[in-house]
Amino acid sequence: MTMAVALLRMWLALAATGAVGWSMLRLFGGGLTRMERTAWSLALGLLAQSAVFAAWRLAAGGAGAGRILFGDALVVAASLVLRRPWADRSARRRNPEDLRAAVVVLAVVAATAWALFLVQAVAEPMWATDHLAIWGLKGRLAFLAPALRQRLFLDPALAWSHPEYPLLVPLSLAAFAGLVGAWNDQALALLWPACELATLLALAGFLARRVARSAGAGAAALAALCFPLYGALNVGTAEVPLALAFVLVCCALLDVLESDSSERLARLAAASLFCVSVKQEGSAFVLFAAAVLYVRLRRAPDRSWRAGAGALLVPLAVHWGLLRLVTGPQARRDFDFALLLPHRWPALPARAATVISRLVGTEAVAALVPLLAIAGYLLVTRRGIGDSLWPVFAAQLGCYALAFTLSAFGPNFAIDSAFRRLVLTLFPSFTLLLLARVPLGSGVTHTGRPPSVVPPNPEGMAL
Amino acid sequence: MTGDSPSPRAADRFVRALAGVLLAVIGISMAASLRPREIARRWRLLDRSLSGAPISAGEGTRFWFDPAYAEFLEDLRRRVPPDATVAVLVPRVPDTYAYAAVYELAPRRVVDGARVSEADYVATYRTEPRPMGDPIAQGTLWRR
Repeated sequence: MTMAVALLRMWLALAATGAVGWSMLRLFGGGLTRMERTAWSLALGLLAQSAVFAAWRLAAGGAGAGRILFGDALVVAASLVLRRPWADRSARRRNPEDLRAAVVVLAVVAATAWALFLVQAVAEPMWATDHLAIWGLKGRLAFLAPALRQRLFLDPALAWSHPEYPLLVPLSLAAFAGLVGAWNDQALALLWPACELATLLALAGFLARRVARSAGAGAAALAALCFPLYGALNVGTAEVPLALAFVLVCCALLDVLESDSSERLARLAAASLFCVSVKQEGSAFVLFAAAVLYVRLRRAPDRSWRAGAGALLVPLAVHWGLLRLVTGPQARRDFDFALLLPHRWPALPARAATVISRLVGTEAVAALVPLLAIAGYLLVTRRGIGDSLWPVFAAQLGCYALAFTLSAFGPNFAIDSAFRRLVLTLFPSFTLLLLARVPLGSGVTHTGRPPSVVPPNPEGMAL
Repeated sequence: MTGDSPSPRAADRFVRALAGVLLAVIGISMAASLRPREIARRWRLLDRSLSGAPISAGEGTRFWFDPAYAEFLEDLRRRVPPDATVAVLVPRVPDTYAYAAVYELAPRRVVDGARVSEADYVATYRTEPRPMGDPIAQGTLWRR
């Protein structure tokens, strides 16, 4: 198979995935912009595609294009047969002052940056160490190896490949390999630009709907310029899909904080499932999101936090249970949990001090210019709808600091090998918080009241 | 509104412009890591791939640590059946030697030197001492 043919087949496979996701989204995508629908379609399609592949592996030992497409067709048919039980038609905020020229310029910036990532992604076979050792390896084994459970989770020779990690990325790769007809490292790499595109569309669509088109275009451009994330080094790893997952959780959570229709709750549950299925950090993010939702809604009149918390936590619990069932008990080699035992407590302060000094003294200094710009931006802007999510990001960073403190390889090694990657994964969703504060040129600002009690504003004028 | 103080509209515009500039600083800081030469190199690789020309290990990045190692793994893939277990004796550093072997040789089970007793084949890369078996590209292969 030539490279051109493999790439074409991968495009078609992505289109099929999007179509499956689109059919599922039909059930709970009311009120979303077209850009958001495209983003959600990819995420839902990846969940469906990996489930179809896993089902065929369990039932028949393998899955080629015909079987996967048959499974896809069943999902689409089931989605079409099901009646749409809800109809969320929330008013989309249109702002007459939106700067059309700025939107165009920002969209061109985002598109150009995305094209650069596309070239980097498919120029050569994926080579990132984490791809070879974890995500790609598991995908290849899922696609090629018999006795899958033995090889993925029980083989002592592969104990370093993190058998405890979630499987959405490997199963998606295996499903795409089945659809393409071969494991082609270059063609499969298209999944990463597709995830970036979905991330940018989710940001742009959500902010266009809830704030202003210029804010959406600004967030998409800013996220697309994050080349340390959207670069060749991260092609084949879970970071780029996880960035998409964080954005979807943020968007769905902000929608539920505004009003908890059944459709919004279903999207929150889907985002939660996607997030926890990509990487372990996704579970922490979902837990913190649930905590924020509880704090924001517990005293809100006529609102209940239970449905939203359930939408976040039930998928997390179900995923954890399924993964545990499949993998069996697995050691977490990255962490030395014995440090939490009383007789090891004396070692903790020194480790924590090392972490804080490295994060503040080295990492923050290295990023001083953007950090100062962010601080200045926060000073000259007013609260926006994304501000409820600040605690989620703060808690996530705190969680990373704790993880470094408990690292089995020592705090410095853990920080050197993971911290920037982890922070960069949060950046696209962080742009949502930033751009929700000031809709550039639109005159729309929020007064700081919690989104759950912001009254409807169909005129799209300043609140 | 007095004539001495700037109009709220002008102040608003200034703040908005300042916010835009600060966002641009964040974006430029992020974009500064882009390496145009690297993009150009990758563009050439993509162009060649699409025209059907294979990318050699020396041109690509996967075997940055030792391009000749790709030849060794490719020969192993041809010679070792997919359902076999093969012990691959390679340098411990960098660890990408081991990761590349396991990835490239999948679905074969690949083990390290400590598990030779579990292997059907033992492959020794050219850098390792005491090679055993028949010569293959950049190393030897011994069927146990």
